[in-house]
Amino acid sequence: MHSKTPTFSFLDHTADLGILVRGRNLEKLFENAAQAMMKIMVKGKASQTPKRRVLEVYGQDLPDLMVRWLGEILYIFEGEEEIVTHTSIGAISPSRLEAELKTVSFDPARHEVLCEIKAVTYHQIEVTQKGDHWESRIVFDV
Amino acid sequence: MGKPDRFRCIGNTMDITLRQLDENRWLIPKRGPMRVPGLIFSNQDLIKAVQQDQSLVQVANVATLPGIIGHSLAMPDIHWGYGFPIGGVAAFDLDEGIVSPGGVGYDINCGCRLMTTHLQVRDIQPLIKKLISALFKDIPTGVGSRGAIRLSKSDEKKVAVQGAAWAVKNGLGDPQDLERTEDHGTMEGADPSVLSERALKRGEEQLGTLGSGNHFLEIQTVERIYDPIKANAYNLFEGQITVFIHTGSRGFGHQICDDFLKEMSKSMANGKERFELPDRQLACARIKSDLGRRYFTAMACAANYAWCNRQVLMHRTEETLLKALALTPEELRFELLYDVCHNIAKKEVHKVGGKSVMLCVHRKGATRSLPAGHSLLPSAYRGAGQPVLIPGDMGTHSYVLSGAEGALEQSFGSTCHGAGRVLSRSKAVKMAKGRAIYRELEDQGIFAQSRGKRTLKEEMPEAYKDISQVVKVVHQAGLARKVARLRPLGVIKG
Repeated sequence: MHSKTPTFSFLDHTADLGILVRGRNLEKLFENAAQAMMKIMVKGKASQTPKRRVLEVYGQDLPDLMVRWLGEILYIFEGEEEIVTHTSIGAISPSRLEAELKTVSFDPARHEVLCEIKAVTYHQIEVTQKGDHWESRIVFDV
Repeated sequence: MGKPDRFRCIGNTMDITLRQLDENRWLIPKRGPMRVPGLIFSNQDLIKAVQQDQSLVQVANVATLPGIIGHSLAMPDIHWGYGFPIGGVAAFDLDEGIVSPGGVGYDINCGCRLMTTHLQVRDIQPLIKKLISALFKDIPTGVGSRGAIRLSKSDEKKVAVQGAAWAVKNGLGDPQDLERTEDHGTMEGADPSVLSERALKRGEEQLGTLGSGNHFLEIQTVERIYDPIKANAYNLFEGQITVFIHTGSRGFGHQICDDFLKEMSKSMANGKERFELPDRQLACARIKSDLGRRYFTAMACAANYAWCNRQVLMHRTEETLLKALALTPEELRFELLYDVCHNIAKKEVHKVGGKSVMLCVHRKGATRSLPAGHSLLPSAYRGAGQPVLIPGDMGTHSYVLSGAEGALEQSFGSTCHGAGRVLSRSKAVKMAKGRAIYRELEDQGIFAQSRGKRTLKEEMPEAYKDISQVVKVVHQAGLARKVARLRPLGVIKG
């Protein structure tokens, strides 16, 4: 996949919000999915030094792992009011991933919330290898 | 009888045959893994949009779930959801059947509350901007909005058990409000001990908040009365000012749905259930299983949180109106007409084959509709039937309907819940590009304030079906009867 290809695009879904995410490998796919979700939800920059944390997520298979991974990142924003600015997947298998996250605290003066994502759904969830790259189809409840 | 109409949905191998039964009813015959047929309440105009997306496939998918009774139903505001269609109704046998968090939705007990006042449109019209600005300042709206109330863990658990009654006990309402709330604003069987720490954390600061998306608080006027006798029973008169609130259980409910969907998905993957799911979002558990029972108690907590949320919002709205208009409570007479939920699963008694049977009725974007004389109605509405509240979108009318006998006969006591989207949010934003939606609304006499820049565009009138068509179908099909039409004057959104 060419590096200039956009990492995600919107799918047309009447009630909710769907995206198609791409990545040159599985690690990049999961990182790009997290980045896409945060980009949909919030914009703006904070000058504070990012905090680091390590996250471990377990799933039954890749689609389940994707829903749970994004669910964790969503909770960090909704429940802890921390914006995940960067993710780096260290290890990934269909049943487990390990990632290092960088987060900054949400600050209404610096950040603008664009869209409330209530949840990452399992509806038509797909994680598939397409030739030289990976793709995932994700529907959010908004 | 119309000719059968077939179509194939992209991304799904299931062919849907749609057969028109009469002006307002369409059948999806039982085939393949479907256990029952699908039945859609719709007309020639509305069904066209339904055929553009995958909502009919979703009606058929729900029909495959174990223990489903009668038909997999859809109301005329049906649109493509995740798992269940939005506007879907399905009833399940308590022994064989399932309960599905996706059949309730993330926003558990999302619903509507309508208040009447003693004010007239001619008095309020000149003050509408001032009133909307005051409400926008006082009512927390928008993504992740936090309320004026910060609940301790112990109070949060009381809210989860007591619902709207907690607010009334704490001086945020009147005991009469509980009479005029579906199930008295309390769902029995709520047990906060089954909730995750995350759910409790998300709920502690969100009581009394409106949220974002299609949630709103609107000042309206009664523009037309269709049934003067019922309108009188509901204390509605032409030119009257009313206030409409549409919101739910906020992050608390979203987290509960999410927690249980994941647990049910895992349980099904581990082979606990011996049936295939056409969509993972339909993950479910048998009603009588431990997991099914736990979901019910958790869902009841969220339902109670939502009723309490709308009760608190009503109280805050009254305080703001009294202050902004410098009126006494006697002059304002801010009274609850009714509160209904439209995302819920409930155990209810319905007639099946002539016998009364307790069933689990899922309403995902559908409203309960009980006819006159029903034992669950408060005495004030026993003669007129249950008020059914149907919110429009920002630019169009809302409706007050009354519950009808036909709903008990055809739809497990259910009717529509709103207009239903026809445009995706991204398409709506694209269409609204370069347009000032708030100015267009103002030209129509509607003053709107919203927190998010995209919200007004996503929620613009063209994004929704024609609500008058939706209401016409349920009226003609006998699922509910038209009582009054409300015109928006001003709205606050997230």
